[in-house]
Amino acid sequence: MPQTRYLIIFAQAHYDFRIPELLSVAELHGFSIGLPDQPEPTRPYMVVQLEHQDHAILLASRCILIKSVCEFYAQGSSYDELHAAVRSNKQEWIQHQADASFKFTVTGFKCSLPAQKQREIIESFSYMALAGKIDLKTPDIILSVFEEYDSRVANVEGKHEQPNRFKQVYFGRLLVEGTARSLAAKFDVKKRVYYGNTSMEAEISLLMANQTLASSGKLVYDPFMGTGSMAYTVAHFGAQMFGSDIDGRQMRGKEKQAGVFRAAAQYGVAARVVDLCTFDVTHNPWRCGDLFDAIVTDPPYGVRAGAKRLGRKKPPTEKHIASLSSQRVGALRPGDSAPYIPPTKPYELSNLASDLVLLARYLLRPGGRLVFFLPTVNEDYQAVDIRTMLCEGMEVVANSLQDFGSWGRRLITLRKTTNQSYDPPTFEAPSEDVDELDGETAHVPAHKDFREKYFQGFKPAAE
Amino acid sequence: MVRLITHNLLACHAKGCTSNNFPLQLKDVQLEQREAEFNPDFLRRFMPKLDWGALVDTARQLGDDSLPLEQPEMFDDDFLRKLHHVLLEVSVEEGAMVCPNCSHIYPISNGIPNMLLAENEIG
Repeated sequence: MPQTRYLIIFAQAHYDFRIPELLSVAELHGFSIGLPDQPEPTRPYMVVQLEHQDHAILLASRCILIKSVCEFYAQGSSYDELHAAVRSNKQEWIQHQADASFKFTVTGFKCSLPAQKQREIIESFSYMALAGKIDLKTPDIILSVFEEYDSRVANVEGKHEQPNRFKQVYFGRLLVEGTARSLAAKFDVKKRVYYGNTSMEAEISLLMANQTLASSGKLVYDPFMGTGSMAYTVAHFGAQMFGSDIDGRQMRGKEKQAGVFRAAAQYGVAARVVDLCTFDVTHNPWRCGDLFDAIVTDPPYGVRAGAKRLGRKKPPTEKHIASLSSQRVGALRPGDSAPYIPPTKPYELSNLASDLVLLARYLLRPGGRLVFFLPTVNEDYQAVDIRTMLCEGMEVVANSLQDFGSWGRRLITLRKTTNQSYDPPTFEAPSEDVDELDGETAHVPAHKDFREKYFQGFKPAAE
Repeated sequence: MVRLITHNLLACHAKGCTSNNFPLQLKDVQLEQREAEFNPDFLRRFMPKLDWGALVDTARQLGDDSLPLEQPEMFDDDFLRKLHHVLLEVSVEEGAMVCPNCSHIYPISNGIPNMLLAENEIG
């Protein structure tokens, strides 16, 4: 297949999420995308290869992090290089030479270019001999120049007088503006009729939905539903959504109609929220596995809300258990002042993460994805951390860091690679000393006991 | 709003309750019609996961006999619309689901079922 080059202009946010999002949207629509040999996702411009222009339009309509996409004509580290490349790529733009009305734009990344300078740059393209009219309002084509400066260089005084100090300059024809970015405003948490203090910010909820490959006809599950942040974005992209939480109050809120249903109605996706259920995921009522196309979740990791599971910190005695036999969830017994609520105990994060992967392998259809956040201490993080929680049949698709300084959270995307059916996980915590089997101290994952580390300010434990 | 699709996926999971724990019996139910998106692709893909007998029995107990006892081999539009209605639009707003084996009662309130287990019911 002939490949055409396109220039992607990224929004300035979440650069570690850019490539995973491109690849997910390409996979969702079933086309391939040729990335640079050594992609540099921190840079605002990226030249990619696509088989068809429609693919570029699909990317721009679904990727939250795409600002716009241009048909790529040339790039260079100086204008001499750029113009030489434009001249030699004449076959790319010659079709517009005759009569298309046009407009030029010049944009600097980390540098603002004065009008006079912009005019000079535009005039330097006069050899293209475009015969169409200049039309600033409704041009047939928009030709764009992008100068990319390093932040270091941009701080040097008098950069406008030294036009060759930029890192790279790109030239292309605007093909399409990114339309998915505006969804971040639509799903703004502050404008939502129901949310809580752990609700996920809109832009990240959208990126998570893209990682699930959400689309019409699919069924997606959030086992730590909370206030339902990801349900709205997943459902927006057409999938049906199912949610559960150990604490029903998070999903309900205070009004009679559950808060999650009200917020779903606000976004016009109430018809795609299949149901909400109160249960502990470690004691779950699923009748069978292989049900969901994706599982998406932000597990509570203990800073604002700690993860809980049914049980007690200290196992109850036989006698105590015997005395409990008449208890029933939500029911009043003679002499009770409030309905019975079963006790819960903390759910340590590294156990939760490993259990979640096993649960996903059981509940996902073959090829289905698990998308979840894992908080981690940046200094202690090692790539092996992710492998410690993997199991046979689950592989890593993406791992993107949202960096908060001393800690961060990683959006992990896994894929179920097996067609085999597995038993439901037992959710038994591994014994504490398995890490030291070989007599050596194994690396402790940076997300283990995250809550304790967070409140200790990420200082190394005292000797 | 426990839709019947959800009811079809939930089994009693109390400790030791591993047989005859599905389907849960609906009791004292208050039904409501809920809007849902008709999506033939979703229905076709989901069909293999359904316990057809449990779905038809439950629907009939609730007074809806639009579905055939045997799952048809061909899915025409008329059938898919009936299935859509039973699976996604009939929903239980209030009531309870009772395990036919151990009699555990799972209450449904404001459309959300409480599937939590008591301390003596967990393994």
